[in-house]
Amino acid sequence: MIYRQGIVIGTCIFIAVVVELSLLSRLGIPGATPDLVVVTVVAIALAMGPLQGASAGFAAGVLIDLSPPSDTLVGVNAIIYLVIGFIAGYWVDPRDRTLIIIMGITSLSTGGAAFATAAVDTLLGGSRVNWAEVPWITLSAALYGLLLTPIVVPFVGWLVKKVTPEMSFS
Amino acid sequence: MLSRRTKIILATLVVASLTFVILDLRGGDGPFSSARAAVSSVLGGVQRGAATVFSPVTGFSEWWGTQVDQSGQIRTLTDDNALLSTQLVEAENDIARANELDALLRVASVGRYRVVPAEVIAVGPAQDFSWTVTIDAGTLDGVEEDMTVINGDGLVGRVLKVYNSTATVVLLVDPESSVGGRVAGSQEIGIVSGTGRQNSLQFQLLDPLGEVNAGDAIVTFGSKGGRPFAPGLPIGEVVDVSGTAGALARVATVSPYADVSQLSVVGVVVRPPREDPRDSVLPSAPAVAPTRAPVAPQTTDPTPDATSKPEVVQEDEKAATPAPAEPGN
Repeated sequence: MIYRQGIVIGTCIFIAVVVELSLLSRLGIPGATPDLVVVTVVAIALAMGPLQGASAGFAAGVLIDLSPPSDTLVGVNAIIYLVIGFIAGYWVDPRDRTLIIIMGITSLSTGGAAFATAAVDTLLGGSRVNWAEVPWITLSAALYGLLLTPIVVPFVGWLVKKVTPEMSFS
Repeated sequence: MLSRRTKIILATLVVASLTFVILDLRGGDGPFSSARAAVSSVLGGVQRGAATVFSPVTGFSEWWGTQVDQSGQIRTLTDDNALLSTQLVEAENDIARANELDALLRVASVGRYRVVPAEVIAVGPAQDFSWTVTIDAGTLDGVEEDMTVINGDGLVGRVLKVYNSTATVVLLVDPESSVGGRVAGSQEIGIVSGTGRQNSLQFQLLDPLGEVNAGDAIVTFGSKGGRPFAPGLPIGEVVDVSGTAGALARVATVSPYADVSQLSVVGVVVRPPREDPRDSVLPSAPAVAPTRAPVAPQTTDPTPDATSKPEVVQEDEKAATPAPAEPGN
């Protein structure tokens, strides 16, 4: 059971990282890059639960920190995504899960992730963050998270049900 | 409520992430260089494949981005467009790429740079605030750290990390990037640094009394041994100068020639020219005749050190100032 969950999580995360870095970030969209990885982490957390969400967030964060062309500190995204995965899995009541609420959660998560990355980087002494750009990046990240939700969340939910039917969480 | 096992796993993950941050904060090569190399060798191949699969999509956005951003190029683009729209999307994409390669080869041959062509296969997400891209050339192609990266329009950045078949390039608009620049046709030198915005750089003059005007072109000053920056590469055009002559800090805003948001074919300068090409590489260089003449006596000087240049300057300036007037082609 746990292996199959691991395989689902690993595959989703890997595909999300590759698509984000090779496709979405190259589209030249204004503002932030559509954060497919965070949306995927939230989708996994909603479909499987807080522990799986947190693990998926940790794995995704480490992978995106290590994969080229990343030049950020290893572990920053890991801890941010971990917290997001946990919160999304833990605090959202399964009975509340209408698409509107889910879209709200993902857009809060993607916006929050962008803001948290800027904040943590500045706290740790990085000089790259231009705070004049942060509100716009955060807002656009939230908007793109909102738009990705209706595609990603149902697909991950369907995949989880298909591959690990024993998960009764959703 | 959470079970004991869940809490233990969560605590472990949190501690692990914090440990990573602390280890990586210590700087230097750190324990992550081998991990990064391993991930890059796996992901590099996947990203290369993905870049090929996605190339019609990214190629389209490149075409679209140029259309939207640069109204000055609309006329040439409309001509190109009429030609290209008769062909398939795939063919359009290939032709655009070949043109970029041609432009790159032109820059390389005019300045006598030896370049290794490469393609951008991944771009860092904007919310990292770092402007870095991955290219599909690495140590196997002769790429080393701190080599200059250019494209058909001018300077793009420098190689930050290099792996077997891929390399990470930090773009010149990255807030942590700075390049020695020189005003084309004069001897004014200064530091060009990134601002984190894709269409503006800051040029700070070293000499507060120096002369710099909107419309001036900035080229690289060149580093010792051509690394990290080869001399003579076009960086951008001055669009605005703040502060009066003699003020303590004179800062000019520079618009880079290379559109870093739409990179596809780039070249890594594996060997800089033996002599500083001076201003011959600037965008209006097809009109080679006027710029070549003053350049010839200059190239006898083997050092790229512009401060020690003799009095030839004045002539040079007069002859070369018309050169950067039209970077639009």
